[in-house]
Amino acid sequence: MGFLRKIKTAPLEDKMNEELRQRRESDPFGFAEYDAANAERAGYSDYSYWKSTFRAFIRNKAAAVAFMILVVLLAFTVIQPFLPNQYPSGKIINHPTTQMQMSNVAPSLTTALVQAKAGDVLIVTPYEDKEWTAVSNVLESLKARTVFTVIEYGDEYCKVTYNGQTGFVKNDFSTKLKLPEDVTAVPYDSRSNFPIKLYSAPADYTNNGDPLFIRTENIRIEDNVATVIRECDLNVLPSTAPFVFGTNNLGQDLWALVWRGTRTSLFIGFSVAVIEAFIGIVVGVLWGYIRKLDRLLTAVYNVVDNVPTTIVLILISYIMHPGIGTLIFAMCLTGWVGMARFIRNQIIIIRDRDYNLASRCLGSRPARIILRNLLPYLVSVIMLRMALAVPGAIGSEVFITYIGLGLPVSMPSLGNLINVGRRLISTSQGYQLLFPTIVLSIITISFYIIGNAFADAADPKNHT
Amino acid sequence: MIKYVGKRLLSAVVTLAVILTIVFILLRQMPIEGYLDNIDKMDDAMIAAKLAQLGLDQPMHIQLLRFFNSLLHGDLGVSSRYRAGAPIIDIISQKAPLSIELGVMAMGVAMLLGLPLGMAMARSKGKFWDKFGTVFIVLINAVPAAVYYIYLQSYGTRALQIGMLFDRTNWKTWILPVFSMSLGNIAYYAMWLRRYMVDESNKDYVKLARAKGMTSWKITVKHIFRNAFVPMIQYIPTSLMFTICGSIYIESLYSVPGMGGLLVDVIGRQDNPMVQALVMIFSSVGIIGLLLGDLLMALIDPRITFTKKEDAR
Repeated sequence: MGFLRKIKTAPLEDKMNEELRQRRESDPFGFAEYDAANAERAGYSDYSYWKSTFRAFIRNKAAAVAFMILVVLLAFTVIQPFLPNQYPSGKIINHPTTQMQMSNVAPSLTTALVQAKAGDVLIVTPYEDKEWTAVSNVLESLKARTVFTVIEYGDEYCKVTYNGQTGFVKNDFSTKLKLPEDVTAVPYDSRSNFPIKLYSAPADYTNNGDPLFIRTENIRIEDNVATVIRECDLNVLPSTAPFVFGTNNLGQDLWALVWRGTRTSLFIGFSVAVIEAFIGIVVGVLWGYIRKLDRLLTAVYNVVDNVPTTIVLILISYIMHPGIGTLIFAMCLTGWVGMARFIRNQIIIIRDRDYNLASRCLGSRPARIILRNLLPYLVSVIMLRMALAVPGAIGSEVFITYIGLGLPVSMPSLGNLINVGRRLISTSQGYQLLFPTIVLSIITISFYIIGNAFADAADPKNHT
Repeated sequence: MIKYVGKRLLSAVVTLAVILTIVFILLRQMPIEGYLDNIDKMDDAMIAAKLAQLGLDQPMHIQLLRFFNSLLHGDLGVSSRYRAGAPIIDIISQKAPLSIELGVMAMGVAMLLGLPLGMAMARSKGKFWDKFGTVFIVLINAVPAAVYYIYLQSYGTRALQIGMLFDRTNWKTWILPVFSMSLGNIAYYAMWLRRYMVDESNKDYVKLARAKGMTSWKITVKHIFRNAFVPMIQYIPTSLMFTICGSIYIESLYSVPGMGGLLVDVIGRQDNPMVQALVMIFSSVGIIGLLLGDLLMALIDPRITFTKKEDAR
């Protein structure tokens, strides 16, 4: 970060060094003359509070990294809905041919489920889209306990004949074929106690039985039978937009939900931070500056500060209608107290220092003293409190949602995504908890680190 | 000293009364469904009769006076939905001991783990334990408790090979709830103890002790720790609040039949009298905690004066 150091003094230094060098060459022992112009320039102080703060801040590597991550994440959260290939958040995605919900699709970076090889024969399902064709390799769906003849045994797929058709059936725990002791002594009759599919190839080109989609340009269709011309993907949907975070049990795209939830949670966090800071500053300044108010506000403080914050949160959310407004209100109701108290204490300490006394004697109005003389001292603390209020608010939202007083599910937030995912943690759908948790943790940890690093950096003692 | 204690007690009582009044008035703004079981099956006359029986048709100040009157007689009212008609005081007195037991254990565990961690961090400033502790503190403070509790329950129960839920008779099922509840406090104690010990270790008496040739372990334990521990007393109330907050979540997560889980339960069932009673109990615990903290601080640290400090003006 050398470019940030001494931007203004560097040219001057270089110039003077150059002059010294020239002098050494021409007249090493001569007297130096007093140069009024240079003295003027060197007498200039380059110290800037905010620049030094910034420099001290980025010297803390963890904070710098957290800051960059957070900026990228915030920017992405905002622009995510405008990116291509995004599903609308909350939209239930149905399979185009079966109209079933695409629920619990595992996270993936593509929509491709399997690859079809050239020469594969697939069965076409009617679907009116020119670009995509709905296909599967299911020749026939057999009812439970339908008898077929095994003509070639395999550990994964058995080649069988049924009703004059030759095909393959799956041979695993999900089908539990009834087999003789010597499985290789073909042919013999077999059946499954479950409904079973007869595939055209020893592979399953379906999405749990639903047809897959293939680009029409990759196949040749004759009488509802498609022959694959070249190797290509079979997609779960007639689109290339992937379910990066998978889908939930309703068939909603989790990726879209998580980012929408992040927006909601960040909105709550930022609103709480700003409102708390505003109320805290106003009350704190009044409390510290106006002596008559001290007793009253101290009494109020004692009451508000004595109640556990969680209890206030629960009480307010219980009484009012669930919604973003209620949450913000409940969190702000007690959150301003800490800020107000700190500002009060600081103002009492610095309000009667000499420079303020002088300012008052010169006729400055209280508003000017407060805004110009007192508050600039407290900027770093205010920023720290605001930075820490954001993760605090996000965490409270998760807690309140768990208790059952949070936002309705129709309004995704990180809290209710986590609450829904919580029940799936030890199942194969654990990703529905994992992704919201990861995003949430990145945000809260970054804010926490940044807030603390900023508080350190804002302290002039740490400036070099 | 006695004057200070009396004053402090009085202010605690006043605060408690104010908070109870506010909670009472706020909860009266709720729809009446929360006071009646099976409201769908009742007609208007029955509802009115029931409300009159509960005294809810009276003006607010009469209700409030009645409430305080019965409160002083140890009567918190009856549950409306959770266990319709049962006196709340009975329900809670069944559940409270377990909560208290868990809470005390959690605070004990927090001290047993948090203080050594803080001490190790202060002793090895900039080395492994310090870094480890810092990462731990950042994680615990920054990640919402609700999140890591869930993972701890899932993976912890699997590692211990026990069921997800609490079973009073099986000691193994106590480990995770108590540990989870203490996590926040461990980080809190470690953070502050480290800070105070680092501050303390730069003081002159420590340098003198070192110059005399005392071993560094002795200095840490006999001098630094003792002096650094005194200001820690004032964090006991806060850690009590952490424990309360944790208990609400943890007890419901592990189905512990205690008060915290009960609160989540009755909120779900919209049982207003129960919510009121529990909220009041939890707020009182908070106030009592702060009171205890102040009194302990005054007892332990002789430097604290009991006269009112005049702010520099």
